Amino acid sequence: MKILIAEDELELQDSIATYLERDGNVCERASNYDEALYKIDLYEYDLMVLDINLITGSGLDILKQLKKQRSETPTIIISANNSLDDKLEGLDLGADDYLTKPFHLAELNSRIKAVLRRGKFGGTEMIEFNEISIDTNSRTAYIEGTEMSLTRKEYDLLLFFITNKGRVLSKEIIAEHLWGDHSDLADNFDFIYVHINNLRKKLTNAGAKYIRTAYGSGYKFIED
Amino acid sequence: MTKSPKKIRLVQKTSKTFLWISVALMLGSSIVLYFYLKTLLQGEVEEELRSTEARIESSLHDQSGVYQLPPVVEIEKVPLLQSEILKDTVIYDPSQDEMEEFRELSTYAQIDGENYRITVRSLVVESENILVAVIISYLIITLLVFIFLYYFNRNSNQKLWSPFFNNLEQMKTFSVMSESPLHLMDSEILEFSELKTEILALTDKVRSDYKNLKHYTEDVSHEMQTPLAIIQAKIENLINSENLDEQQFSQFTSIQKDIHRLSQLTKRLTLLTKIDNNQFGNIASLDIVQVMEDTVLGFSEISNSPLVIDTAAPITVKMDPFLAQVLCTNLVSNAIKYSSGKNAILVTSGPMEISISNPGHQALRRPEQLYDRFYREVEGAKATGLGLALVKKICDLYKIGIEYHFEKERHIFTLNFQR
Repeated sequence: MKILIAEDELELQDSIATYLERDGNVCERASNYDEALYKIDLYEYDLMVLDINLITGSGLDILKQLKKQRSETPTIIISANNSLDDKLEGLDLGADDYLTKPFHLAELNSRIKAVLRRGKFGGTEMIEFNEISIDTNSRTAYIEGTEMSLTRKEYDLLLFFITNKGRVLSKEIIAEHLWGDHSDLADNFDFIYVHINNLRKKLTNAGAKYIRTAYGSGYKFIED
Repeated sequence: MTKSPKKIRLVQKTSKTFLWISVALMLGSSIVLYFYLKTLLQGEVEEELRSTEARIESSLHDQSGVYQLPPVVEIEKVPLLQSEILKDTVIYDPSQDEMEEFRELSTYAQIDGENYRITVRSLVVESENILVAVIISYLIITLLVFIFLYYFNRNSNQKLWSPFFNNLEQMKTFSVMSESPLHLMDSEILEFSELKTEILALTDKVRSDYKNLKHYTEDVSHEMQTPLAIIQAKIENLINSENLDEQQFSQFTSIQKDIHRLSQLTKRLTLLTKIDNNQFGNIASLDIVQVMEDTVLGFSEISNSPLVIDTAAPITVKMDPFLAQVLCTNLVSNAIKYSSGKNAILVTSGPMEISISNPGHQALRRPEQLYDRFYREVEGAKATGLGLALVKKICDLYKIGIEYHFEKERHIFTLNFQR
């Protein structure tokens, strides 16, 4: 995938690119408003990660320009502003998702994949991983064609693991993905452990063992 | 502590003083006038008596006949001459047929070899009447003058002080959050004008300071999110790099936890500031009981203690839906955080009331500080210390009553929507 990262904080831009490039994506970078405008004008991207507060202009204007060009490049806004109005304005202008800083790269990655699934590539709502297949439309998972009975959180977990396969996911990252702002509550009581354990059991019973423990307290979804 | 004196209005106070002084002046001057007039009148009467006596004496020289006109004039022959007597006396007045008070002058004179006692009298009543008439008219005139002065004074005082009173009212309604400066009345009186200038300078300073503080909080919160995002992104790349050991990994995840906490803190600070700035104008009618039920459901799988809902009829309130959610979320997460043991957290509703209670060992030591920013009852608790401050802020915004009490080993928060 060819992804444009429009972010004026070079360190953040770099970290995002590093994370995404590991999955074989090609990341182009734009460090200011004009560069971003220039790039969307010249090239076609599969996706754009767009910071709203670019140092020389507003990311929302870039989004407007993009839509004016009738480009179908899906966009994910990243912003330091948590306000609902900004979020709504961004989505109204045609952004596909909105992430508030600070965010986990794994979270960004899973949002990117979700946006791409819904995007121009035929809207393949099925994710395949060896014998596991997930229908993101009906939110059901199958192992070798047999439906798994998963709770909502277990389904979310499985999807999160598969979209971030090969990555180390700490409990903090998982908790924030599942419970957002209230993840600190969940963290105190080890609810993640319970959910992961249940999901693991369901996978192992069906013969799939992909969830590995990493460094004692983290997790990794990995091919055998 | 010294007891503060009773408060009285300025105009009332000056009027009261004026009244007392007027009464004292009126009484004092009347008394002085009374005695002065009295001596004056007495002198007058005495002079009259003497002149009558002199006339009688001279008439005795001219004619030997003894002239009598009792009780006003009495002439007697006496054997011895004595010194004159001036006194008040009460004798019978045949013309009035009653006892009357007279002023009496008795003199002795030797006329043509005979000794006479000449007694002349004058009715005191007459002079008394004059005295009383004068005093009464004096009292009436001064009373009228004082009444006039009183009202005149009061009115002019009110007019004089009106810029002061007006500005005082303005100051009472002053809010640091207001956008426009105070509209104060100017006055031709130098002190009032100076006061006005000083008040304006002071309130403008307070307003601008408050505004700066608000922006500062918002800016700091914003500015903090980006570096936090960088740290977080770097840590995530680090934990995905090779050659990490368990200890390093646990250090990194602990940093992730702190980043989350810091980010929550700034989010809530921003939210508090936004409520202060009145940035939530999206008012909708909603059933707060429903919002509470949804919130509880959302939390049920991350709560260590079971959450039990027992709600009754819906309660419709007009408020921002987002803030309604924040209100319920913070109350529930607070209950979960500070719940001890495995006993249930109870959410109940009544008519215009929602209560949420969680088990606890003892009542809060300083319940009055419960809603203060960064107040934590338990040291080291992993809370931002802003949850209940937010709850209180939202309650204040929509005039929802909130109460805390401890009963039967439970911390109970009650929201009252009656107000």
